[in-house]
Amino acid sequence: MRVLLVIAIRNLVQARRRTALLSTAIGLVTMLLVLLMAMSAGISDNLVKSATLLSAGHVNVGGFFKPTSGSVAPLVTNVAEIRQIVQENTPELDYMIDRNRGWGKLIGPTGHTVQSGLSGVDIDTESHMLEVIQPAFEDEYKPNGRHEIVGDPKRLSEPNTALIFVGQAKRLEVGVGDTITVQTETLGGRSNTADLTVVAVARDIGLLSGFSIYVPKKVCYDLYQLSPDTTGAVWVYLKNIDDADAVMKHLREVFAQKGYRVMDHEAAPFWMKFEGVQGEDWVGQKLDLTTWSDEVSFLMWVITAFDTVTFALVAVLLVIIVVGITNTMWNTVRERTREVGTMRAIGMRRQMVGALFMTEATLLGLFATTTGAFLGSVLAKGIDLAGIGVPVDAMKMILLSDSIHMSVHPLSVLGAIVVLTGVTALAAVWPAIRASLLQPVKALAHAE
Amino acid sequence: MRLLRNLVLTSVLVAPAIAWAAPTDDEMVQMLKVIDDRQMNNGDYKSLVYIESKQQDKSDLAYQVVVYRRDLDDKLVILFLKPAAQAGQGYLRVDNNLFMYDPTVGQWERRTERERIGGTDSNRQDFDQSRLHEEYTPKFVGEEQLGTYTVNHLELDAKDGADVAYPVLQLWIDEPTGNVLKRQDLAVSGRLMRTTYYPEWQKLYSDSKGGDVYFPKEIRIFDEVEKGNKTTIVIQEVDLHSLDDSIFTKAWLESKSR
Repeated sequence: MRVLLVIAIRNLVQARRRTALLSTAIGLVTMLLVLLMAMSAGISDNLVKSATLLSAGHVNVGGFFKPTSGSVAPLVTNVAEIRQIVQENTPELDYMIDRNRGWGKLIGPTGHTVQSGLSGVDIDTESHMLEVIQPAFEDEYKPNGRHEIVGDPKRLSEPNTALIFVGQAKRLEVGVGDTITVQTETLGGRSNTADLTVVAVARDIGLLSGFSIYVPKKVCYDLYQLSPDTTGAVWVYLKNIDDADAVMKHLREVFAQKGYRVMDHEAAPFWMKFEGVQGEDWVGQKLDLTTWSDEVSFLMWVITAFDTVTFALVAVLLVIIVVGITNTMWNTVRERTREVGTMRAIGMRRQMVGALFMTEATLLGLFATTTGAFLGSVLAKGIDLAGIGVPVDAMKMILLSDSIHMSVHPLSVLGAIVVLTGVTALAAVWPAIRASLLQPVKALAHAE
Repeated sequence: MRLLRNLVLTSVLVAPAIAWAAPTDDEMVQMLKVIDDRQMNNGDYKSLVYIESKQQDKSDLAYQVVVYRRDLDDKLVILFLKPAAQAGQGYLRVDNNLFMYDPTVGQWERRTERERIGGTDSNRQDFDQSRLHEEYTPKFVGEEQLGTYTVNHLELDAKDGADVAYPVLQLWIDEPTGNVLKRQDLAVSGRLMRTTYYPEWQKLYSDSKGGDVYFPKEIRIFDEVEKGNKTTIVIQEVDLHSLDDSIFTKAWLESKSR
């Protein structure tokens, strides 16, 4: 084996130019694959971050209330009892909050409007949100604004206040201290409004923050004419997000056993269920339990699409690489026919000849993919640390972030090295077999 | 002599006050009934309507629609004729439920009373029969001058359970004719949402009713929240002949876009 390695390395070193060209090609493909995987993982991270901040807990106990069979509201009654049941039946629980859900038109003082969801929060219980939300500098949303943060999300404890995001602030032409009007309708379908003072403007968190503002719960109670014992959904955060599915299934059974009417599980956000629920013939309360991924299932297409493009791109490049390696190895076998004949004449077995060419290809692949993966990882990390902003809205939508976020997972990088090295080795199988089948006499005569 | 002078003085001061005494609750309800009854037709009602809407940051909207009403059954259909992109779209009110049909997707959706018809500032109630005395309780605000018109100013509070878009209305009713000249719609929060003017009323004799049916020739709606947004509704033609029963069905509205 050692002899094979030595011969293979010597052959690779001797054919420096060919080795360098092939290594560069394989290395670039590996680097591209690592970069694309880091980008995909970054989008996934952004999705989890924005989803679990803006749209859902790891598990959500939400539901619909129907005062009449033809009308429906996304709310849960008896919230204290529901919270207690979750507390007592979720050993995996880290913490939980509850938020009101609403939808309305935001109107700025200049008359510009934005449609947005309303999240009614009790800011004293929102430590996670306060950690993740990044207040924006005034000059990020206001022309000639100061390069300093002028708002404070904690002021959501004050009545009739709102935290909005940079995109909304620009659209409405407002800043901290300005008043916006929310226009919506009560549970009974009557027009209602609230004038809210903007107390903080936060940096956008991808697509979802464009459709969210935070307000104190009291604003939602007043706007929708609800009692304080109601909420939009109880957001359950677990110690390990991977337990979300199991916990959701368990809580569904628990609530059903306790006599609650629980809707069939549907992997869709609550607002996509309105029409279906509205058409159903029942009144009163039904609970709807979902996981965070259910609530952002409409965004999963971004990751699926990105991964599909990545796969297609890398597959095309790999085909090119395979053709290149096979062709190069054919040439190598032809150039070294006499050498093969000599080795066979002095007693090297057929299998050893085949193994020699395979070892050459594998060593070439391993060196090239490892180098490419290393460079790709370093580049991905550098881009991530640079926090490069995305100026195009369409790209923000795809990346689910305002800046390029890349996340390098060591296992993914190792997988890329193994797969691409394997492909390189496989590309050499047929030339290696042909080399091993050469007759020593013919091989020795071939060169002349 | 002094007594006589006091009597005369008292009469002079009190008489106008008696003459301007606020209407009783029954009289105010009667005012609303007059408004409702005048616009109601015992038979059917069809009108060709032009709607124009100007909105900030958006292109102007202009629609031609046909409104079909069967007041005794509380049925209403609004069918969009123009522009071509909206042709076939429509609304159907049945049993206090308002549905919208979008022919581009071939689906019906239930809408609320606040639905902005075609994205304008108009609501269903701007096209439907008037039900003020059924839906609201009036309160007298005062006798006022509205330009050259002497009007009774009423405040209307929605009755419990009434399916209305606005819980409070301010109404200015022309004293001599009993026609509504101005209306303001307020939200639950008390905020003024819309101001509507009815500059001209017309009437048409209805055989089925055996009397005149009143309708506003023009309605001007001003959005008070999004200042600058305004909608004008012009009722171009009114026909009070009976309509086919099939018109007030989903199938009929769907067939208009095939």
